Amino acid sequence: MNWEPFELHTHTYHSDGKHSLLEMCREAAKLGLSGIALTDHNTISGLADAKDVQEETGVTIVPGMEWTTFYGHMLTLGAPYCEWRDLGPGDIHKGIERVHQAGGIVGIAHPFSWGSPICTGCHWDYAITDWNDIDYIEVWHRLLPPYNHHNAPAYKQWTDVLNNGFRLTATSGRDWHHSEERELPAFTYIGVPNGADPSTANSIVEAVRHGRCIVSMGPMLQVEAIVENTSYGIGDEIVPSNRGTLELLIKLDPSTLPGRTPEDMPVTNFIVESNLGELAVLPSPEVPAKTVQEISLEGIRWLRVRATGVLNGGSTTLAFTNPIYVALK
Amino acid sequence: MDELMIAEGSLTPLSSKTHISYQFHLSEPCPFLVVDFTYSPKVLDDKEASRPLILEAIASFASPSAIELQKEKWEQFLPLQNLLTVSIDDPAGFRGSAHRHSPDQRHILSSDEASPGFLAGPVQSGIWKITISVHCIVTPTCMYRLSVKKGRDDHELGAL
Repeated sequence: MNWEPFELHTHTYHSDGKHSLLEMCREAAKLGLSGIALTDHNTISGLADAKDVQEETGVTIVPGMEWTTFYGHMLTLGAPYCEWRDLGPGDIHKGIERVHQAGGIVGIAHPFSWGSPICTGCHWDYAITDWNDIDYIEVWHRLLPPYNHHNAPAYKQWTDVLNNGFRLTATSGRDWHHSEERELPAFTYIGVPNGADPSTANSIVEAVRHGRCIVSMGPMLQVEAIVENTSYGIGDEIVPSNRGTLELLIKLDPSTLPGRTPEDMPVTNFIVESNLGELAVLPSPEVPAKTVQEISLEGIRWLRVRATGVLNGGSTTLAFTNPIYVALK
Repeated sequence: MDELMIAEGSLTPLSSKTHISYQFHLSEPCPFLVVDFTYSPKVLDDKEASRPLILEAIASFASPSAIELQKEKWEQFLPLQNLLTVSIDDPAGFRGSAHRHSPDQRHILSSDEASPGFLAGPVQSGIWKITISVHCIVTPTCMYRLSVKKGRDDHELGAL
């Protein structure tokens, strides 16, 4: 598996951003990103020169859109324009069906952002009657996301949805409109299997759909479960023959990017989280590190790992994985 | 250029979260269309009128532990703004949207180029639709004006 850092929420001057796509992709390359999703508000016209920009910058461009509606902002990836202007607050599943029919996936953008009149429609007010329809949720939004107040309820909502038995991918999104900001965005590391092409939109959409995402301020936090001699990765489902134990391998590769090295943001703890709550808090040894933890499968439906540490002088979350799921017997 | 359509209207806060659509008929293909859209005012200048709207938003959206602190700093959210956006459908379907904050906009559509937000392509005859999406009105009234002109030849487009 190759893990590629992506920015999944961006805007150009085709909506209310300041960049051209070329300018943004040049900035993305400087940040060390492998790719971006272009998610302009309610239009796809910015993609007209995407092929040329991708060739010139080497930054993969995934076609997307941000449905900027009256009742919430919804991100789409891998779909053409889909109609949103005829949907009321009870109609979101009808809209999602359009995106799915067109081959795309949908994600809730910044669900707990402030709504009108501060930020029109930014708060998610659509009624969700079936979380199976939602492919991903932007749990970390904006710059220095662990310190943004509206992200804490998003992380909790994601956890609640997982606890209710649904599979939902968590991502980060800078909501990138210009490059004059100095604070750091998070990355969504996207897992592209060996043999798949990380420069195609389809590989990225499939990875997000499958939950192969790690959200991080920099360090690459990986987790792998070994059950009955079989290895499972992030987004995978374990189907155990009995409720024995699993061996959890936690691996941390520090970032070497400026502002994101172990000196800039040291990891202090790995926390194993699950539907049964916190299963373990493991002090992080020297990085790069590999930590092994044995966990009973009894009652486990999903588990993920969160890394905490120091960022800008405060103690906070630095990275978290998406879940590895366990099938119900 | 020839005027094809002019529409004006007045909105109030109760117009928020509505779409206003205008349809017009283009009797024959033309080299380009110019869509001008303006609205006024953009911001609510009345600080005292803004205060209850902001306090209501704080009560609705701030995390419970931060509500009192945010109420003390309510003025950081001034000025509140109206937001209207324009999208266009040509006879074949969605042609683009200009989701941006300026209250004075000009959009040009032609075969080879289009203003940001819109797709270049032929300007075909048939029924066109322009939708004003009224995301939010915070002023007591807000006036808008929408006009569409059609170009006669490419030479005119170069002069715009």
